[in-house]
Amino acid sequence: MLATVVAVALGTFVFHRYAAERGDAIGRARAEQAARWLLTHGPAGVDDLRRSGTVRLAGVAFDAPPPGSRYPYLRRPIWLAHTEPGKVEAALSRDDPAEKAAADALVQDELVRLPDGGYRAAAGERLGGGERRAAFVELAPPPRVEVPWPGLAMAMLAALVFWWDLARREPASRSRPVVGALTVSVGVLGLLAPRLLAVDRLEVPASVGSADVTGTAMLLAGVVLAPLALVAGAGWRHGSRPSPHRVAYAYIGPALLGLGVLVLVPFLYGVALAFTRASHGEVVWVGLSNFVDILSSAGRSLTEPLSFYFTLVVTLLWTLANVVLHTGIGLGLALILKEPTLRFKGVYRVLLIIPWAVPSYITALVWKGMFNQQYGLVNHLLAGVGVAPVAWFSEFWTAFTANVVTNTWLGFPFMMVVSLGALQSIPSDLYEAASVDGASKWQQFRHITMPLLRPALVPAIILGSVWTFNMFNIIYLVSGGQPNHSTDILITQAYRFAFEQDRYGYAAAYSVLIFFILVIWSFFTQRFTRSEEA
Amino acid sequence: MARLDHAFKHVFLVVFSVATLFPALWVVKMAFRADQSFATSMNPLPTEFDLSNFAALFGDALFGRQLLNSLFVAALTTAVGVFLACTAAYAFSRFRFPGRRAGLMFLLVTQMFPGTLMTIPLYSLMEMLGLLDALLGLVLVYSTTAIPFCIYMLKGYFDTIPRELEESAIMDGAGPFTLFWRIILPLSRPAIAVTALFSFMTAWNEYILAATFMGDEQAYTLPVKVQSFVGDYTTEWGYFAAGALIVSVPVMALFFALQKHLVGGLTAGSVKG
Repeated sequence: MLATVVAVALGTFVFHRYAAERGDAIGRARAEQAARWLLTHGPAGVDDLRRSGTVRLAGVAFDAPPPGSRYPYLRRPIWLAHTEPGKVEAALSRDDPAEKAAADALVQDELVRLPDGGYRAAAGERLGGGERRAAFVELAPPPRVEVPWPGLAMAMLAALVFWWDLARREPASRSRPVVGALTVSVGVLGLLAPRLLAVDRLEVPASVGSADVTGTAMLLAGVVLAPLALVAGAGWRHGSRPSPHRVAYAYIGPALLGLGVLVLVPFLYGVALAFTRASHGEVVWVGLSNFVDILSSAGRSLTEPLSFYFTLVVTLLWTLANVVLHTGIGLGLALILKEPTLRFKGVYRVLLIIPWAVPSYITALVWKGMFNQQYGLVNHLLAGVGVAPVAWFSEFWTAFTANVVTNTWLGFPFMMVVSLGALQSIPSDLYEAASVDGASKWQQFRHITMPLLRPALVPAIILGSVWTFNMFNIIYLVSGGQPNHSTDILITQAYRFAFEQDRYGYAAAYSVLIFFILVIWSFFTQRFTRSEEA
Repeated sequence: MARLDHAFKHVFLVVFSVATLFPALWVVKMAFRADQSFATSMNPLPTEFDLSNFAALFGDALFGRQLLNSLFVAALTTAVGVFLACTAAYAFSRFRFPGRRAGLMFLLVTQMFPGTLMTIPLYSLMEMLGLLDALLGLVLVYSTTAIPFCIYMLKGYFDTIPRELEESAIMDGAGPFTLFWRIILPLSRPAIAVTALFSFMTAWNEYILAATFMGDEQAYTLPVKVQSFVGDYTTEWGYFAAGALIVSVPVMALFFALQKHLVGGLTAGSVKG
């Protein structure tokens, strides 16, 4: 354990050094880049930079030896542009340090880190005829985040030790209370140490802190695991052995914490958003009015494409069509493929599984191309049998069909694999016995296959229906809701409200309704499957 | 009779296989053509073998970076997802504790959370944690979206492992961790492989969240890049197809390597359990 502490401390130190170095490098590189950019863009570039607000100061200078002067070194930079008005005059009177920087840059490139953490870079070049040009920029210090790295690292370590000990819970381990007390104190000390010792607060430039892998990992693991350690540690105070329940919680803890932070919290936040009018960062509490608007289909007749009920019917139709096709095709193929004597079975199975392995957005985009009116393959095939080209996405039913075809291609392999697995687990002697008793193929299917398939198939169908109900990619990418949003399903409609119209609150209310529909649906199916089992 | 029956089945299977292969072959064909338009000939087999699309993709320095991003995110998601799913599934399968049913229910319910509802809050959360444009943010989000399904699947599989094995180990003084590590995990390799595959696919294929969270081209994952070739009015089909092929091939390879387990791993629990 001491070794781990040392390793963590060392790692933290190394990381801090590395982050500081890298932050410095990033700052320098940016400043240098800006200076060089400015050198090529001249006075216009200064205006650009001023408008963009990315730099604190910027200026370009240009100088030439006084014409006909016998003293060419007696010259001063002629300021051409500066981000701060008035600086041009100041520079002319040579009392501005920035001007000096630019002047220095005429001799050599310069890059300095300013005391407040900002960076100044200057770049210069010599033109012909003794003329010189220089540019300089000053960048404000990059935003920094303060992170108590060592504390988090210690807390994380403590949490890990706890978790490990709890998860093992070997009956032989007698040192548990000692280990527990030790790790708790290490964790607490780790969290307090930076404050107590007032050591370097380990500031890290934000650009590094957020992008750097190790750092963020440590931060998050610490945040997630530290509470776990405290909860687990509380048990040891009483000197009690951890109960079996606590062992179970230790195993579930990490997953549940992750789900809580990244699924439950956003979900609750989203639900809260449903009671607001939120757009462009402004949030106003509006109570139930979003729901009222949606459910009363305000401003639209019920049968119009953008009304909630129209979209709901389309969604249900879409789900039903897909589930029936997926299950039908999948089960049909599985019934054929389970035949032990069939040749090339493995080859077919491999080929038929391909759509599952292709990412759905690729499938969607390819099929969208295939349904294109001009160059699409489907119309070419139809032309082969003498059908005039169809404008697939200009009418509801054709667009809907295109969506369903795409999603069927994508979805049947899952059902096939599930059915195949279930079929293979049915003992073959059942069929032998049945055929000895003279049962027909249909009777065998009806009385052996179906009942034994059900426990595997029903959950798969329920899950499949939920996935299809929320199948965003296909609708959004294939028909895109055309024509006139009529083929949109609830989830794509909600997405449009949120990201195309900036009506976050309304979209959230839409999503909450989707969620409720699915919960009701699963409630019914649960009862259905439970009564099946009973 | 049986021969006729088989011939009929073969016809059926061939028709379906062709229908399945057609769009896939199309992508392959377009990937190996120098043209950016959509291939319109009826022949789905590649007629030329031109690598210029791939050369153009890999010639772009950003593309290599994005490929690495995707690999990193997918690999880490798999590791985190499998670890979380295995431990949680073990507890759900082997312990009876207050909140077990609620926990299982919660897992099921998470599958019903509409993605649109989550996107905005997740964006705010990522912003708060400083994880926008950070690959690690994607890893965290992906591993939590993948695990509910994985937990369910693994739990089903763990349930099928006979308890007698563990009981004899308990006699020998083994604690829960020994049981988990030495008995459950080794026996569940097929199911774990499938779990890993799903976690990998979730991360490797996801597009919407990646497009939302990643503003910097340096931080793009492959799906975002590949999708960017498809515009509203013009599509660079050649680049798109080549990118699609690069994205799909690793997943397919994994699929085919694991397909034997896929059938068993996916259903064992639900059938017997």
